[in-house]
Amino acid sequence: MKRWLSLLLAAVLTLSLAACGGNAPAGNDASGGAESPADSSGGAPSADSIRLVNGKIEVDAALKKLAAMYKEETGVEVSIESMGGGIDIQGTLKGYYQAGNMPDIFVNGGASDFANWGGLCADMSDQPWVSDTDAAYVNEDGVVGFPYTVEAIGLAYNADILEKAGVDPATLTSPAAYEAAFATIDGMKDELGITAVVGYYTEPVNLYWSTGNHLFGNYEDAGLDREDTTYFDLLSNGGQLDVDRFTDFANFVALLQQYADQSMMISGTYDQQILNFASGKYAFVTQGSWIGATMTTDDADAYAAAGNFKVGMAPYAFQDGIDTILTNSPSWWAVYKDGNVDAAKAFLQWLTTDAAQEVLVMEAGFISPFNSSAYVATDPFAQTIVDYQNAGKTSGWHWLGNKEGLAQNYTGQVFNDYAQGNLDTERFVQVMQQVCATAYAG
Amino acid sequence: MDSIHPVRKVLSPLFLIGGLALLGASLAMDCMGGGPPPFYQYRGLILIAGILLFFAGLYLFPTLTHHRDIVNVIFLFPLLFTFGVTVIIPLLLGIFYSMTDWTGIRYTQFVGLANYAQMFHEVSFLWSLLITVLFVVFNMVLVNLVGFALALLCTSRLKGVGFFRAAYFLPNLIGGIVLGYVWQFVFNNVLVKVTGASLLTKTPSAFAAIIVVYIWQYAGYIMLIYVNGLVTVPGDVLEAAAIDGANAFTTLLRIKIPMIASTITICTFLTLTSAFKQFDVNMALTNGTGSVMDFMGQYLSNGTQMLALNIYNTAISKNSYALGQAKAVLFFIILACVSLVQVRISNSKEVEL
Amino acid sequence: MKTKLKTSTFVTIMVIAVIVALYTLAPFFLVCINVFKNANGIVADPVSFAGASVRQLMTNLSNVINNSNFSFWYAFGTSALITILSLILLALFGGMAAWVICRNKTVWSNAIYMVFIASMIIPFQVVMLPLISTFRDVGNFVGLSMLQSIPGIVFAYCGFGGAMTVFILTGMVKTVPYDLEEAASIDGCSYEGIYFRIIFPLLRPSVVTVTILNGMWIWNDYLLPSLMLGQNGKVKTLPVAVQAFVGSYVKQWDLILTAALLAMIPMIIIFLIAQRQIMSGMVEGAVK
Repeated sequence: MKRWLSLLLAAVLTLSLAACGGNAPAGNDASGGAESPADSSGGAPSADSIRLVNGKIEVDAALKKLAAMYKEETGVEVSIESMGGGIDIQGTLKGYYQAGNMPDIFVNGGASDFANWGGLCADMSDQPWVSDTDAAYVNEDGVVGFPYTVEAIGLAYNADILEKAGVDPATLTSPAAYEAAFATIDGMKDELGITAVVGYYTEPVNLYWSTGNHLFGNYEDAGLDREDTTYFDLLSNGGQLDVDRFTDFANFVALLQQYADQSMMISGTYDQQILNFASGKYAFVTQGSWIGATMTTDDADAYAAAGNFKVGMAPYAFQDGIDTILTNSPSWWAVYKDGNVDAAKAFLQWLTTDAAQEVLVMEAGFISPFNSSAYVATDPFAQTIVDYQNAGKTSGWHWLGNKEGLAQNYTGQVFNDYAQGNLDTERFVQVMQQVCATAYAG
Repeated sequence: MDSIHPVRKVLSPLFLIGGLALLGASLAMDCMGGGPPPFYQYRGLILIAGILLFFAGLYLFPTLTHHRDIVNVIFLFPLLFTFGVTVIIPLLLGIFYSMTDWTGIRYTQFVGLANYAQMFHEVSFLWSLLITVLFVVFNMVLVNLVGFALALLCTSRLKGVGFFRAAYFLPNLIGGIVLGYVWQFVFNNVLVKVTGASLLTKTPSAFAAIIVVYIWQYAGYIMLIYVNGLVTVPGDVLEAAAIDGANAFTTLLRIKIPMIASTITICTFLTLTSAFKQFDVNMALTNGTGSVMDFMGQYLSNGTQMLALNIYNTAISKNSYALGQAKAVLFFIILACVSLVQVRISNSKEVEL
Repeated sequence: MKTKLKTSTFVTIMVIAVIVALYTLAPFFLVCINVFKNANGIVADPVSFAGASVRQLMTNLSNVINNSNFSFWYAFGTSALITILSLILLALFGGMAAWVICRNKTVWSNAIYMVFIASMIIPFQVVMLPLISTFRDVGNFVGLSMLQSIPGIVFAYCGFGGAMTVFILTGMVKTVPYDLEEAASIDGCSYEGIYFRIIFPLLRPSVVTVTILNGMWIWNDYLLPSLMLGQNGKVKTLPVAVQAFVGSYVKQWDLILTAALLAMIPMIIIFLIAQRQIMSGMVEGAVK
């Protein structure tokens, strides 16, 4: 009996000990924080050392190389702390904050991340790099996010096919131009060896983000100045759409549908979409610059077999004169206000210099958001993004602020119905108005 | 055991007082929201240690007359405590929250039945309710038919019964999330070669797909229960029937089915309640997508979203906790009614026998 | 004549049985052949062996296991730890409670039993939202992490599994003759000793049943851990990890199917070992 009791006690004790073990690293906000700040940063902070929390573990080596270069040049020690995808980075950072162990530079992925640090990020608007880019993150605290790479949303195209068909992508800035180009390419399908003009996929369960976020995002931003939030504001105000602009947009989507790969448009998968584009079976594909990475890794064989063709991006010109693609930094580095601010700012400024850019672009594979950068990454889409940036023809990326779940629960499905032919253009616009209003009302 | 060991007389009060002291200290720190640094951080542990020490003291309490009662309490406490904290308290809170403007963290006012009124004005919710009822009816019939047919198959003179039984039951072992994705693969990448567009993109066919997957997962389990019922049908009764010249079909209709009536009741309600609660497969397979062109004058984008998923989405994705909770309470009421009916039916059956 | 008919019936039955088995096993078969291929091979032809190779399986396995978004071993270990701890505590506490309820015919024990039985109809959905907020508030108040912690989730499983466990074990305790306990008591066995020495060992068949029922439920459960631990939190169980992995941006079927296979294998192995007990346990749980 005593043995059983002790066993029971042991079990409960282990459980409670585990409870403590589970508690300690969680950094619960109620616990006031008592974690020792000294041990994890590797030495007390001093004027000539800064610490950076990086969220892309795959570029850890490149960043450490930069740190070594920086130390050699200036004597300032930069310690890089890289966190992998499985880690809740924001949660870890909150723990650091409570334990008084904040890094000087840390990664933030967007508005919701920055919202965690209201009033805690240093304003960098006095820094020279700010005027060199349009991808900095700005909120009411000032310029708080240093961009280090760029992604773009545009209508990606196979430059070799366009050239063979005699279509100049620079002319694709109006619906009429697109219509002519699509018709030309469609007429030469066999010669060009393609199965369809456009790889437009609308499957609603898994690919809703492509239509509901990215395509829809073009309605919100295409052709506008980076800071122009006219249509985003309208949407935010109870889910309203500008009927004229949206009808033009809907007509353009109808054009995409007309020339799309019909067998794949309704339920094709992302894998198939990218593979078919990489294999040279589409002239256009409705995906952004991130597919470059897939084309050169997973689909490298098919891409090579198709001749490693050149690619580019054209604007979604659903109205005459739209000539911008949407670009944005997927995440930013912020400087902690009470940290080693000056040294951190100096380091970030140094990252825009030629030597540092060479490592960031050529080794880490980032697409530089800085106009002065002379390097273009090996990514197939790097050149086209750099060109648009240098020409100042980029628009902002405001769909990130759309109502949560708008694409997944509402708009993705409507795009799919439009593609299935269940909705005509007029009804598509009406339904889109209805679902947006519903989404923003809830 | 008859005399009380003197050590207990000392240890028991020591433990009791020590336990209460730790408990008190920990709670005091909770209430003040602060305390001496090393202790404050470990106040949770101190609390647990206090509880354990208190129970140890209680166990050693030097009494013979009340020892049984003390042990009874100690034996009941763990389960009752966890049960109370995880089921009873949340249930009561949940019913209360459903009548407030609860945000998942706090509430500011009592709104009466406003949430309930609101959900019946939400067309997409009514749709979810409707298809859930349809889904339940379809499954109740189909899963039972298929399960029963498989049970007959498995009790007939079949070679390798063990293998077939295991093969039919196997899908039931796999969690809904994993098999939902596997079936999504089957529909979107394999069957699509036959069906043209994937079955999951049109609401009616996607709904049918969920039913097919559900039968696939559940029929094997129901089959086992029917097999269990069928083997209790006495062999001599069947023999007598055979001698009387009854063919297989009449034997089934006149003897087997009446004799396993209670099993049929069990299976019917088992499929009914589990179909009602369907969540994992729904989420992994379609995540509720599918369009309805015109339902009560509205376009809907949640064509295959069943009740459980609708509740989840309302609260988690759309962040309307109070509304989601009100829907959940309705869900509870429906299930409670179903269970009451079940109890009624099985009780009246027992009386008949 | 008669035997002929029987043969044809037999053949028909066999054919039907085989067809149904093919249907139930087909998805498993598809998973098994496609984990041997790369993503393009799967997209190109998901039903044949074309492009299948053992080396590709190894690549897929290592890609999945080493994927930092999936962290297979970690999720597997977490799931196993949660399941095992919950099962042990449920059997122990459930048995204790069942015995006390059964052997004390008071108003209280009766009421407790009725509440347990009645609670079995409560769907998880109605308690899940307040549960999370209660756990968060209580945890913050007493300074224990109840959400996002293994002990917290084990605690919740003890609460949710308690009713069914008590229900089945009470049925078993009833079958143990009371004389046995009296005899032990006369022999000088203490009250609690009677339970641990006499009753608990006799409950074994029912403990196996509840362990199977609870085990299948806890191991496969998605909703409770996803709410308590978060969709992509620090601690994750296998179903949550699969969902987080699959639900992420891009559908890579080679990795997803490999992940699905890894998630299925433990259950299938256990099934092959304890087939009889699992099937009879599942039936018993339902019939009661």
